[in-house]
Amino acid sequence: MFELGPILSHAFQALQAWVIGHGVPPMGAWILAKAIQVGVVVIGVSLVPMILVYAERKVAGFMQARLGPMNVGPYGIFQTLADGVKLLFKEDIIPVGSDRLVHILAPMVVVSPVFVCFAPVPFGKGLVPIDLDIGVLFIFAISGISTIGVLMAGWGSGNKFSMLGGLRGAAQLVSYEIPRVLSVVPVLMFYGTQSLRGIAMSQEGLWHGFLPRWFIFYPVIGQLAFIIFIIASVAETNRTPFDIPEAESELVAGFHTEFSGLKFALLFLAEYAYVFLSSAMAVALFFGGGEGFTLGGWIPTWVWFLGKTFSIVFIFLWFRWTFPRLRADQLMQFCWKFLLPWSIVNITLAGLMILLRK
Amino acid sequence: MEQTLPTMVFALLSVLLIGLSLVVVTARSVFRGAIALTAALGVVAGLFAFLGADFVAASQLLIYVGGIMIIMLFVIMLSQRPQDQYDRQTNEQWVWGAFFALAVSCALIMQFRSVYRGIFATTVAMPTTASIGRLLLGDMVVPFEAVSLVLLAALVGAVYFGLDDKDRT
Amino acid sequence: MTVSLHHFLMLSAILFGIGIFGALTRRNVLGILMSIELMFNAATINLVAFNRFLHPEQVWGQGLVIFVMTLAAAEAVVGLSLVLAIYRNIKSVYTEKMNILHG
Repeated sequence: MFELGPILSHAFQALQAWVIGHGVPPMGAWILAKAIQVGVVVIGVSLVPMILVYAERKVAGFMQARLGPMNVGPYGIFQTLADGVKLLFKEDIIPVGSDRLVHILAPMVVVSPVFVCFAPVPFGKGLVPIDLDIGVLFIFAISGISTIGVLMAGWGSGNKFSMLGGLRGAAQLVSYEIPRVLSVVPVLMFYGTQSLRGIAMSQEGLWHGFLPRWFIFYPVIGQLAFIIFIIASVAETNRTPFDIPEAESELVAGFHTEFSGLKFALLFLAEYAYVFLSSAMAVALFFGGGEGFTLGGWIPTWVWFLGKTFSIVFIFLWFRWTFPRLRADQLMQFCWKFLLPWSIVNITLAGLMILLRK
Repeated sequence: MEQTLPTMVFALLSVLLIGLSLVVVTARSVFRGAIALTAALGVVAGLFAFLGADFVAASQLLIYVGGIMIIMLFVIMLSQRPQDQYDRQTNEQWVWGAFFALAVSCALIMQFRSVYRGIFATTVAMPTTASIGRLLLGDMVVPFEAVSLVLLAALVGAVYFGLDDKDRT
Repeated sequence: MTVSLHHFLMLSAILFGIGIFGALTRRNVLGILMSIELMFNAATINLVAFNRFLHPEQVWGQGLVIFVMTLAAAEAVVGLSLVLAIYRNIKSVYTEKMNILHG
């Protein structure tokens, strides 16, 4: 009853018919509908990091036996708004010895791909902005563009420490992409499609009447794939325990020291948006994305999707305040000597399972 | 009217591509040239998507932008000196180089215009991942395995050249 | 004016010409490598355009593009590690300094 998918598609068709009735060509009406959908996704993706920043500070506070932000608004819920206003009013400093164009473009290159990556994500039944046939590959390809932004940020800062910080950060991002992509391959092998909506829909129904048919419940390969994906995603988003590139308490300079004001806000927004994207992908791939007992339509699929996604986001936030930070060389060793072999073993086991099923 | 949107998209992509590649070959700072090359590779991926080759477009972004350009930017960042911004980047044979490049591209363009004029796309673009997978593991399996050996050789070679003198035995 | 095959071929010819100009005239070895990448991309645009317009039901062009991209990656990696090794020895990446074998 509260399913947004059919309601929205009817609304957009009515809008297109009304616009065509006023003399706009059909292509123009289609572009208008798509532009509105894009605008909704962009606004949504910009608002979620604001919630996540507040959630992170509250979670951090409760895990450290304190209350977190409480001053701004009831229980501190307007804290992110205050932070945003502060960042907007800060002076925009461009270092003297740096390349101006590169310094100005770097935050844009980091933050733009994350909005595009939300296109194939299924937010519920019928709520995919566009159902791409190469959804998973598309998300991995576009999120690789942000690494170029990290390198540009390092170069555009004009000092050698930031440049080395950028190089180290980019090395970490490129290294952890490999186990991340390989850990998703067993899911693709089982469901035969790269479209996130197709994978989420293939996971509906129950086994033996009580266990949902989610990928994470497959023996060994489901859990191994999920664990490798989550660890690699934590590393990809530069969160603790893998946040050497941006550690506030450790390094003299990371790649984003010289960015102040709105540019820093954009980089910050990109990190939290990537956390939300990785959680949404994990939910669609491993947890059935939107499937759950709907109680006859009273709990719509988008509520299930958002609930599961925010639970995985909570795991991301939990990691930050539980584990100590890894050193840069420990980080690379962990990726190449532990995660990568286990992800390849996972693919082999998945192949064996498919063979045994026949 | 049905065709103006594809034509406009193609015109925009071509103008961007040619402009960015001109920046690549004439930029004074090699880093800016590399950023322009990254953008040009992204536009080529857009052209592939325009042609309906979705898997190839995503692979282009993943391999070229997310792999090759990052390595190239690494090497550029590790090997630049401050005075490079003030040297000229094209050598003294640039007139002959431009003439030769112009000659080659004009020859190709005249040939293409005469032989391949007037061929239009008649089918709707379908998703290609399954067909490419069947092709790579079916008819093209020997090049597929051979290319993995090439990659292994390239990996070993790159690691060997990257070793310090004291690590080399 | 519908977009047809020869438009794509002309675009790739222009791109190839620009790549040749860069490969012949850049002083920086990394600039030469970047121009070679431009030439590779011109060839791949050609392959995909031919596949789409002349043989739309098959995917041989796109399969070959995957191989071209892989080989371009291998070549770029080896070339760049060579550049790094040379830079370590002569502290420069300009081609006129690399003339030890000059007669």
